[in-house]
Amino acid sequence: MVEEESIRVVRCGGSELNFRRAVFSADSKYIFCVSGDFVKVYSTATEECVHILHGHRNLVTGIQLNPNNHLQLYSCSLDGTIKLWDYIDGILIKTFIVRCKLHALFTVAQAEDSVFVTVNKEKPDIFQLVSVKLPKSSSQEVEAKELSIVLDYINQSPKCIAFGNEGVYVAAVRDFYLSVYFFKKKTTSRRNFYDEKKYTYTCLHWHHDIVMDLAFSVTGSSLLSGGRESVLVEWRDATEKNKEFLPRLGATIEHISVSPAGDLFCTSHSDNKITIIHRNLEASAVIQGLVKDRSIFTGLMIDPRTKALVLNGKPGHLQFYSLQSDKQLYNLDIMQQEYINDYGLIQIELKKAAFGCFGNWLATVEQRQEKETELELQMKLWMYSKKTQGFILNTKIHMPHEDCITALCFCNAEKSEQPTLVTASKDGYFKVWILTDDSDIYKKAVGWTCDFVGSYHKYQATNCCFSEDGSLLAVSFEEIVTLWDSETWELKCTFCQRAGNIRHLCFGRLTCSKYLLGATENGILSCWNLLSCALEWSAKLNVRVMEPDPNSENIAAVSQSSVGSDLFVFKPSEPRPLYIQKGISREEVQWGVFVPRDVPESFTSEAYQWLNRSQFYFLTKSQSLLTFSTKSPEEKLTPTSKQLLAEESLPTTPFYFILGKHRQQQDEKLNEISENELVQLPLTENIPAISELLHTPAHVLPSAVFLCSMFVNSLLLSKETKSAEEIPKDVDMEEEKESENSDEENDFTEKIQETNNTDLGEDIIHQLSKSEEKELRKFRKIDYSWIAVL
Amino acid sequence: MAAGGGSSGDPLAPAGVPCAFSPHSQAYFALASTDGHLRVWETASNRLHQEYVPSAHLSGTCTCLAWAPARLQAKESPQRKKRKSEAVGTSNQTDLLALGTAVGSILLYSTVKGELHSKLISGGHDNRVNCIQWHQDGGCLYSCSDDKHIVEWNVQTCKVKCKWKGDNSSVTSLCVSPDGKMLLSAGRTIKLWVLETKEVYRHFTGHATPVSSLMFTTIRPPNESQPFDGITGLYFLSGAVHDRLLNVWQVRSENKEKSAVMSFTVTDEPVYIDLTLSENKEEPVKLAVVCRDGQVHLFEHILNGYCKKPLTSNCTIQIATPGKGKKSTPKPIPILAAGFCSDKMSLLLVYGSWFQPTIERVALNTREPHMCLVRDISNCWTPKVETAITKVRTPVMNSEAKVLVPGIPGHHAAIKPAPLQTEQVESKRKSGGNEVSIEERLGAMDIDTHKKGKDDLQTNSFPVLLTQGLESNDFEMLNKVLQTRNLNLIKKTVLRMPLHTVIPLLQELTKRLQGHPNSAVLMVQWLKCVLTVHASYLSTLPDLVPQLGALYQLMESRVKTFQKLSHLHGKLILLITQVTASEKTKETTSPGQKAKLVYEEESSEEESDDEIADKDSEDNWDEDEEESESEKDEDDAEEEDEDAEGKDEENGEDRDRASEKELNGDSDLDPENESEEE
Repeated sequence: MVEEESIRVVRCGGSELNFRRAVFSADSKYIFCVSGDFVKVYSTATEECVHILHGHRNLVTGIQLNPNNHLQLYSCSLDGTIKLWDYIDGILIKTFIVRCKLHALFTVAQAEDSVFVTVNKEKPDIFQLVSVKLPKSSSQEVEAKELSIVLDYINQSPKCIAFGNEGVYVAAVRDFYLSVYFFKKKTTSRRNFYDEKKYTYTCLHWHHDIVMDLAFSVTGSSLLSGGRESVLVEWRDATEKNKEFLPRLGATIEHISVSPAGDLFCTSHSDNKITIIHRNLEASAVIQGLVKDRSIFTGLMIDPRTKALVLNGKPGHLQFYSLQSDKQLYNLDIMQQEYINDYGLIQIELKKAAFGCFGNWLATVEQRQEKETELELQMKLWMYSKKTQGFILNTKIHMPHEDCITALCFCNAEKSEQPTLVTASKDGYFKVWILTDDSDIYKKAVGWTCDFVGSYHKYQATNCCFSEDGSLLAVSFEEIVTLWDSETWELKCTFCQRAGNIRHLCFGRLTCSKYLLGATENGILSCWNLLSCALEWSAKLNVRVMEPDPNSENIAAVSQSSVGSDLFVFKPSEPRPLYIQKGISREEVQWGVFVPRDVPESFTSEAYQWLNRSQFYFLTKSQSLLTFSTKSPEEKLTPTSKQLLAEESLPTTPFYFILGKHRQQQDEKLNEISENELVQLPLTENIPAISELLHTPAHVLPSAVFLCSMFVNSLLLSKETKSAEEIPKDVDMEEEKESENSDEENDFTEKIQETNNTDLGEDIIHQLSKSEEKELRKFRKIDYSWIAVL
Repeated sequence: MAAGGGSSGDPLAPAGVPCAFSPHSQAYFALASTDGHLRVWETASNRLHQEYVPSAHLSGTCTCLAWAPARLQAKESPQRKKRKSEAVGTSNQTDLLALGTAVGSILLYSTVKGELHSKLISGGHDNRVNCIQWHQDGGCLYSCSDDKHIVEWNVQTCKVKCKWKGDNSSVTSLCVSPDGKMLLSAGRTIKLWVLETKEVYRHFTGHATPVSSLMFTTIRPPNESQPFDGITGLYFLSGAVHDRLLNVWQVRSENKEKSAVMSFTVTDEPVYIDLTLSENKEEPVKLAVVCRDGQVHLFEHILNGYCKKPLTSNCTIQIATPGKGKKSTPKPIPILAAGFCSDKMSLLLVYGSWFQPTIERVALNTREPHMCLVRDISNCWTPKVETAITKVRTPVMNSEAKVLVPGIPGHHAAIKPAPLQTEQVESKRKSGGNEVSIEERLGAMDIDTHKKGKDDLQTNSFPVLLTQGLESNDFEMLNKVLQTRNLNLIKKTVLRMPLHTVIPLLQELTKRLQGHPNSAVLMVQWLKCVLTVHASYLSTLPDLVPQLGALYQLMESRVKTFQKLSHLHGKLILLITQVTASEKTKETTSPGQKAKLVYEEESSEEESDDEIADKDSEDNWDEDEEESESEKDEDDAEEEDEDAEGKDEENGEDRDRASEKELNGDSDLDPENESEEE
């Protein structure tokens, strides 16, 4: 890298996906979800992120498809804008500036040029539903000033507002009140459920805990509900008897949405996951972000084998997260217990984990503490089996210590022939575990046994750390650091600074291996020289995270101040830090880790050299994963425009030929007709029956017989002049089309898009459709009888 | 990325299935299997990413595939002014995969959308597509076919840009030069084309059979002093069907040289080739060749002019199943493809069957000439649909795992004797051992058995059984004795048992205590009895701590949870036993157990007694000489010999002492055992 920009903090993934309901595209191919300041477009088939729509300057709070053009998407944000996107290409089409914080967005097909948003007026807890008229203008940025209040005093959550009966009224609930606003009459009716009046209602009971979301299927025949039980319940015909379940979805269901085509549902879960579910209640795909449900106890680690970031994942699981592809690789089920999702249960937590010996060993500590005295502790040691390419439990240790384990570390020296693990605990002891031969006459085996138990004046052991060559073990007992010889486990020396309990402890590396660093709770960072056994230097720094770089002498420390977190990169041997960056995050940084680079960079300037061999990732309190990048924003952005946009060109299929030919014929006929009779007729592609036929997935379509007649009738409608003999031919032809239709699913869907691209006439079609369909149905009866006669 | 060709009945078709790693980070591995399915695997998690079946998969099977070069895509938006920490992260996105089919069409498949992106047909090939190569900038695609033509496609418009005749027979392989201005094509001979004019720039001899792979190995000329025109001086590599030699050619300025510069020899036809480009003169080219026999050959060579002899591989990698037991022999697992990771130090290996391959990252160690990896892929055959969706991997937890609970040796560090002490003891033992001859010992034993025969008390069979059981370590015999519930019997047995069996008995009890809790209940009675009766003897032992360390830890850990309760219990027991002892002092008479050794400084006792003692406990013997404390004890024992009634009192005293210690909070062995009993 020749050109060097200043180092910037960049967010590198794991953003929240479950803030709002996800929205399906009209063809169910894509799913949209808000994620911080962005809208992410995922493919429902591959779980891959197709586009990230960026442009908002604050949290995106709502997304809806444009009802007039289903290839467009509206989004609203706290920055006071509504943006219109073309999601297929990821392009921002228009920005409407509203100038007040928007909390939710609704669109209704009938309200052609306006959308509805929730805004917050004056008081913090008073929300209003207003309709925003979107002015028609060719410019990119338009001010939308025409706001009219629809409902006052409503709930902030978009789940509490619903538009009904094709936009005739809107209902909103808050507390015990239900308000319904009728657009035509412009009246509001209010009901209070708190009083004892008798209302007509049906009660569906299955959930024992809070119900988080409800959704009706497209046809309205079934109702979906989900809640903390993490079970999706489908109530068929809205009766209590007919219900179907999809259990074990992993975490609390927060949102449910249904695709407009009706073939897919999706549930957003509290563990930052979107599950895409087929109509037959079968999960088909999972879009998983960095799991955010719980706090991170294990810290950030790097699996030496897969180079993946490892941290707490689902409850009882370790999560392997690929930093390169910003995707979760898998969850490793450490606990192997069914997770019971219930409020108030004290769960077993995965507290500590460590990799040792180049990823060959994994140590995990589980803990459950219901009361002060009732501590359940379990340590598991997993061996990576190369044969089966997976972890195998080698040793399980119950209650390795009498109290919580505070630190866990492997001796990762290259020369050490015997794997060694040290656990430090609040009970005042540290234990050294070694791998020993456990073979007997029946089997060859290895197992871990305790080799040494050390303590220092009954102080609580707070941290432990091996030196790089594995010859020394440093264990901190509250304020005191003790050094132990790893051969004989003799206490070599102690350091005491009397500056509060030691929070972090680490040895210097490479040329700085003679230094030992300790950071205390009282904000002192001390560096001891191991050769002279004296304090080399100390600094006043409230260190929250201290991580040594495995590939260099550098040590990164993140300090916490009232304004934010600052990063210091330093070598223990040098008094001046190599690099300081103030204000890397406003929140507290909880964990950090150096990730070795596959291919070293070659920054020449001194300030960036620390980034040459490794990259520093850190996790803040709100659990966003951040890192440093030197690339300029421009450099990163331009490629979008450079992007190779190969046109989608799929060849014509037999179905297309038939339909196309037919269409041509019709066009010709139409032309003739229009010449002769001057009758305006819709084009074939605008006939609702056809579009309906093409829109709906094959499995929800009624039988071909039914469709066929409708289809034919729709074509027949305008041609009163046609003779009766011609009709049977057409029927045959259409039937052929139908059969081909099912064969050529793939190409067929491609076709739809083309036909639907014309958005101009769409409204007219919709209005036409009802009356037409009625007519068609009438016609169908006649048709049937006619067939019966034959 | 190179792609192997598809296999068919044609003898000259290249072996192996078309497959390729995605460029840059090798995140995906695409494999078009013979059943017409295209499967894309995630290399990091070894998970099936997606599966696609082209509509014409039966007629037009996939013959070759190639990933489009990575396109940069901004992942997140630019830095916001409000919050500093928000900003961009980009990634290289690879999502287009070009598939050539046997009927001449080329499909572009988008892995992000999971659907067909476009189909290149019009004006293209009318026969089997043999090879596809993307141009570096991604805008162009080159394909060659059995119809003798090479076609340049415009990917944006999906139209043919140019089509020209590449050879007199079918064109089987293509490669674009590193600078993007030249194209190598091969049927049997190799041609280098200038892309701008579509003219032949150089000819090379080629192979006797159709060339299956072509690849540039260097991107810089070896001689850097000369001006570089983008192509002259570069090396490239070619492999052919049924040819066990890979040839290396050099593009030279003069047009004379047509033969290969050097060659690499492998064991079978190359199926998949990957290499790391050498960027400078010193850096060797690393080459991984997967052969049809399922082996991978690794070469590391600095390309530098001619070399007559074909080079053999630096390292060969094979994979085999573990041979379970002696019956089944290990079977080789074929390697399907191998690709270098971006750090050039490790290799991604794809092995197993093509419908369920395993992808593994292996660190390279070129010093070893032969690597045989043992892998168990038997459980890979079952399709894992469930894990594909939930992304949960369950590590194996079987009963073979070692379980450590508090009290089991290994849970806590073993108590080791202080090193100095043991040395002394050992030296003493040696000297002591020499004193008594075997004959004497035998004689002593005779006397012993004779004596036991005299005693015809009923319970006496128990001590005998116990002693025999402990000596022979007979499980059945020990069971018979130890599983008794009769407290009185236990007490009597313990009283009568010879002293030298105390330690073995305690060890046996410890072992049983660690076992099932039900049996441990019985053992506790025994333990209680042994410790109360033989406390004096035990306290004389010098190496008591290491010998009974395990028992001590066991008790300590079990007692820990009920510390206060057990304190109380211990005190109560003490009281009760003292009361009962004072009430009926003369109820149980201790059997006439003779002291094994009596040592008096002034006058010694009968000779015969000493002899018996020798045989039994050398430890005692040593101890006596050493510690004055033990002498007293032995004296006490001596007294007991004569006055059996004194025994009980002695025991009571012992207990007294022990409980006092316990009250002081001293963690001694004996108090713990008392309080432990329930």
